[in-house]
This record gives sequence, structure tokens and C-alpha cells, in this order.
Amino acid sequence: MKVSCLQENLSAGLGDVGRAVASRTPLPITNNVLIATDNGRLKLSATNLELSITSWIGAKVEEEGVIAVPARLLTEFVSSLPSEQVEMSLPARSRSLNVKCARFEANISGADPEEFPPTPTISDGLEVEIASDVLQMAIQNVAFAAATEDSRPVLTGVQLELKGDTLLLAAADGFRLAVHEAKLGSAVPEDTSVIIPAKTLSEVSRIASGQEEPIKIMVNAGKTQVLFRLKDAEIVSQLIQGTFPNYGQLIPKDFATRAIIDVSEFARATRAASIFARDGSGIVRLQMTAGEGEDGVGTLSVSARSEEVGDDEGKIDATVEGEPAKIAFNSKYLSDVLNVLGQGMVALETSSPSSPGVLRPMSPAEGTTYVHVVMPMFVQW
Amino acid sequence: MPRAPWRYILHADLDAFYASVEQLDNPEYRGLPLVVGGSVSGRGVVAAASYEARKYGIHSAMPMRTAVRLYPEIVQVLPRFSRYREVSGQVMGIFHRLTPLVEPLSLDEAYLDISRQVPSDMLEEVARGLKAAVKEETGLVITVGGGSTKTISKIASQLAKPDGLMLIKPGDERSFLDPLDVDLLWGVGPKTAEILKHHRIKTIGELADSDLVWLSRTFGKRGPELKERASGLEQDRVEPFRETKSVSSEVTLPKDVGERTALEKKMEELAQEVAVRLRKEELRGKTIWVKLRLADFTTFTRQQTFNSATDDAETIFRVARDLMRRELRPGLEFRLLGVGVTNFQESSQLTMFPTE
Repeated sequence: MKVSCLQENLSAGLGDVGRAVASRTPLPITNNVLIATDNGRLKLSATNLELSITSWIGAKVEEEGVIAVPARLLTEFVSSLPSEQVEMSLPARSRSLNVKCARFEANISGADPEEFPPTPTISDGLEVEIASDVLQMAIQNVAFAAATEDSRPVLTGVQLELKGDTLLLAAADGFRLAVHEAKLGSAVPEDTSVIIPAKTLSEVSRIASGQEEPIKIMVNAGKTQVLFRLKDAEIVSQLIQGTFPNYGQLIPKDFATRAIIDVSEFARATRAASIFARDGSGIVRLQMTAGEGEDGVGTLSVSARSEEVGDDEGKIDATVEGEPAKIAFNSKYLSDVLNVLGQGMVALETSSPSSPGVLRPMSPAEGTTYVHVVMPMFVQW
Repeated sequence: MPRAPWRYILHADLDAFYASVEQLDNPEYRGLPLVVGGSVSGRGVVAAASYEARKYGIHSAMPMRTAVRLYPEIVQVLPRFSRYREVSGQVMGIFHRLTPLVEPLSLDEAYLDISRQVPSDMLEEVARGLKAAVKEETGLVITVGGGSTKTISKIASQLAKPDGLMLIKPGDERSFLDPLDVDLLWGVGPKTAEILKHHRIKTIGELADSDLVWLSRTFGKRGPELKERASGLEQDRVEPFRETKSVSSEVTLPKDVGERTALEKKMEELAQEVAVRLRKEELRGKTIWVKLRLADFTTFTRQQTFNSATDDAETIFRVARDLMRRELRPGLEFRLLGVGVTNFQESSQLTMFPTE
């Protein structure tokens, strides 16, 4: 094998596949990244058997070849190189990859590429194309609400539903629920729903960032695997088996109080309060009061207190309908959702201090709807 | 918040509250001696007596049987607490229109701090307005006492009952309190009163003038508090969000019971009631206690504290039952059972899915 490529391209490619590299594995070969020439490009692959990522980078191929080398070692070495041409060569029948860049030269001991687990391919089943920005936004709005560890594996996943021309993503960790709906542009041949590990989707969104070309999603007929085909990468993941909770039931149908608030002001007040909430198990208290004057401008008070540190209260103008209300949330759950909402106005709907609170953006991106439900904290007021 | 230029507190008390609600809801009871209270046949006690009944010497906490003996034709009504709570809420709402600083002491009385709302020359007008508003909107009668401390306002309303109004001007604290019986003072129960009287302290004024060192030695840290209260100087604020310290329920049994299953059945009902109230008030406690009274009136409590807080009837019952079982002895009979939850947990994250 003899190839050359730009240091930044190689470094980026290794970064893309890096999250799929196994750590603490009974199968040591999966600590490697597979490097192979592929139709005039360089193909990098990593897998932890649940998630496989392949990335293609532009390269000048003089001699075909393939080798598996320790992923961390190569990634760290390449990232420390100057931003110049990198030449990699592998003498025939050798297992030692020679890497040259500027005045650096390294020899890295590799492993037999035949031992590297083959990347699963999906040939039958469902295939659908989604605009990259539509899918990325859906993932960013939903994936963080999935559980990171849970006795119920389905909660570590994101429910993906394709129905007609609609894409729906939903995630819930037991304390919050995020549901995002978007238009696909065209109808899917067959309605489908699968549970994709939230980590997989985060990788898809990360690698797709900046990509304008649509993303192709393929689900095999047995619904055990999903493949995301990006412009220069492929992500294949096992699906989570099981039944996702009936999230429709978890979204309150009505409310006693609704406040419409500027997202960035709300986020600022939450940030300020969370500094004081750190000590007190993260409790941020919200109080909504309707306006008394003719302009009807009410107030949302965002406060936190801790025995040791002190207290803080921020007041924001809000259009409040209904009864005066109070509700307390974990500051992390509140700031997570406000972060993805970014800007604009959001409606906060509550029924009682111990019933779920609902946040909905007032003007979501065209063709999308988003609803976020957060369970409150039970506190002494 | 800047300090109010002066301090003025009202104590508003609904007259014969439960009985008045019953007379209001049931016009046929109006003008009749009436008592609200537990079972008529058994040993229930009078929870409230109408003013007509009080003329016959009937008062709350009196055994129902005594009330019936004093006035055999008395109207007896079982309490309807949910209705009383509803009416109480309405009345507290009226208080809140006057000041946000309303501290409810129970369903039928509250302190109102009106220092910031009412100028000194309008006190009487405002207090009369409050009485009128309650009467007009609920049909109920309140007595209002007022003064520069909680103690003074409460004593004033006690003295002015029924349908009364007594406002003590700032500066008149001592002249009002001094001649009064010392046992009118909050914190002076029969035992304290006995000690005081033994030392020739019969009036609040004498208590106010008594030696601080002697008071401290005799009553501990309660001593200086009593002297402050008696002097009309205590600074206790009206606390609008007074925390509930304990949620409990108890019952006087119709006859003394020693049998385990019968006691446990009763305990289960009580636990159920406590759980319902905890949930209603959105409280969860870590400590569960039981109160037991023997046939000979010996009363004691037993408690157990856990790491996690609960509002669950089953849990409360299980713990209460175990605490009670340890006290059961052959031949021992109980006349009262109670169960309560306290040591409320400050916060917990609620979850979407019920725990499995």
C-alpha cells in the first residue's frame, strides 16, 4: 500500500470514526482502525460491534493495500503532525505501517486486516432519504433526552418513526420527554418505527454537520440494524429491541397556566439560578403571574436558593394566561431544553407543581413541531 | 423590602366555625343548639358547638355524651372537613386581598400583618371592612383582634368574641396586657400557670415585671420569651408560608380495644387518611410515628425514621403496624390510636413512569 493525503483530512477522518473504536473489549482487534484503499480514496473503519463507522477521505493512491492499526495511537500521532502531506506506505507482506509527514517518520505495528470484523451491509429492507439539516435538527432536539444508563434499554434509545411524509423522533429518560416531528419531502414506501441508540444518532449528527447532501437511512428487513449513508461516511448500528413507552400519553393535553417567554432571557435567568442551585440538588423554582395592567404583561420569576450560598431571583416579562402558578425543575433539565430551543419565544404550560411541565417553541422551524415535557421536582415552597 | 414605619397585626377568628358552616348550609339548624363531632353513640368529642349550644355550657373538646346530657335535644352533625376547608379557603382569600402576609393557624383563624397596607388612622375602618366582607361573601361571622404583636392581637380577639372587634393602639400594649390573667398568654398552659401563681404571678403585668434570671432558671429559654410576650415586645413575624410540621390522624375508639386485628384495621384506615392528606399538601416525610393511649389514659408515641420519604398509605401502615405490635401485651387495651408522618423531605425529582 502506498497512499498520500492531507494531514487535516486524515485527522478529521480518524476523528469521525474514533467514537466507534472499542474500549475495554474482549476482541482486541476492535481497538484498531482499518485503513484501506478504496476506489482512489482512503477508507477508515472502526467498530465496537454495536456501532460501526466508516469514513472516506481524498487520497492519492499509488498502490492498493489494507492494514489494521491501533486507533488511538494513530489518531494521536496524526493530530500532532503539522498540517502537510502525509504519506503512508506498507511494504508487501509487512505489518508495519510507515507514516511520513514533513520531517516526521513513524512505523506503527499493525494487525491482520482479515481479523477485523466485516462492516455489516444492508441490502434489503427500507430505504429513505432525509435532508441533512432536517435530520440533524431532529437529533439535536431529541437525543439528549434519552437515558445514558438505564435498567430499561429502550430508554437509552430514540424512537424513530417514519409515517407517510413525516419523520418523528422521540426520547425519554423517565424525567423528561422530547418529541420532534418534521416533514420528509416525500412519503416513505412503508411506515416504520425503530429504536436507535441515542449515541448512534449523536454520531450521525456530529459527522453530518456541515453536510448539505441528503442522508440516506436504511433499515434491514429484520429490523435489527440501521445504516446512515452520509456524503463521505457510513454509520451502521444495531437497533434496540423492545417497545418504546407510549409517549403520547405522557404529554399533558391541557394546562392551568401558560406563560410565553423569550427563550434567551429564560435561559439566562436559568443559568443564573443554576449557580445557586448547585448546592441544593439543582432546584430552580419558577413562578408565573399574569399581568395586572392593561398591557397584560405578566412575570416569570426564576429563582434558586441554597442554605450555604444564598439565593437568586431573576424576573422576566411573560405573557401569562390562567392561574398564578409555581413549579420547580432540575436546572439541568431546564437548561438542556432551553439550549436546543436557542432563540425565539417558548410557551411553558403547567397544571400543578407536581404535574409535568410542557415547553413548546412558538415558531418552530417550518414543517416541524417540537414538544418537550419535564417532570418537576417536588419541593417545599 | 424597606421596613414598615410601624407594626400592626390582626388576628381574625371565625366564630364557632364548623357549627356556623352547618347552620349556613342547613337553614333548618339556624338558631338551634348544635354540635359538630364524632359518633353520637360512642365516645366522640365535640369538635365545635354553636353559640346557642354554648349557652348550655357545651364547648368543644367535651365528650359528646356530656353535651347530650346537658341538652338532650341538641342537633348533632358529623363533621364535613372538605366543606370546612373549602369555606376556609374562601375566607383566607378575602384576607389575602388585604395583605399578602396571611399566616393561617388553622382552618378558622389567621394572623394578618397589615403594617404596610394600612395607615394608623384607618385601622378601625379596615378591620370593620374585613368583617363586613367575610359576612357578605360567606355569611360567616369573624372576630378581629389587633395589636402590635401576635400575642396582643390574639388575646384581643379572644376577649372580643363573639362577633367582636378589639384593636389595641400601639403604645397601649402594657395598659392592655397588665391586668389580664396570666393564663391568657400563649405558652402559659395549666402547668406553667400553676408555677407562676405559686410565685404570686397572677397577671400578665406581673409576669412582665418578674425577674428575668428567675424566669430563665425556672422555665429555661422559654422564660425570656414569656417575659417578652407579656411585655408586648415580642417580634415574632407573621409567616405566610408556615410549614406544616406533621400530618397525622387519630381516632378515639368507640370502646377500648386490645385485639390485634381490630387495632390494625383501624390503623390502616388512619394511614390511608394520612396518605391522602400528604398527597394533597404535596408532602413526603421520612419519619412515621404512632400515638397510643391506653384505657387508663397513659399516652405515648413511638417513631421510626427512614432514608427515603414517603406519602404511600401501604408504607405508612406497615411501619405503624410494626411500631404498634411491639406495644401490644395480653390484657392491654387502647382507647386512642394515631399515626402521623413528619420530617418532611425538602425535594425529590418526580418521574414519568411509575417505579416497578
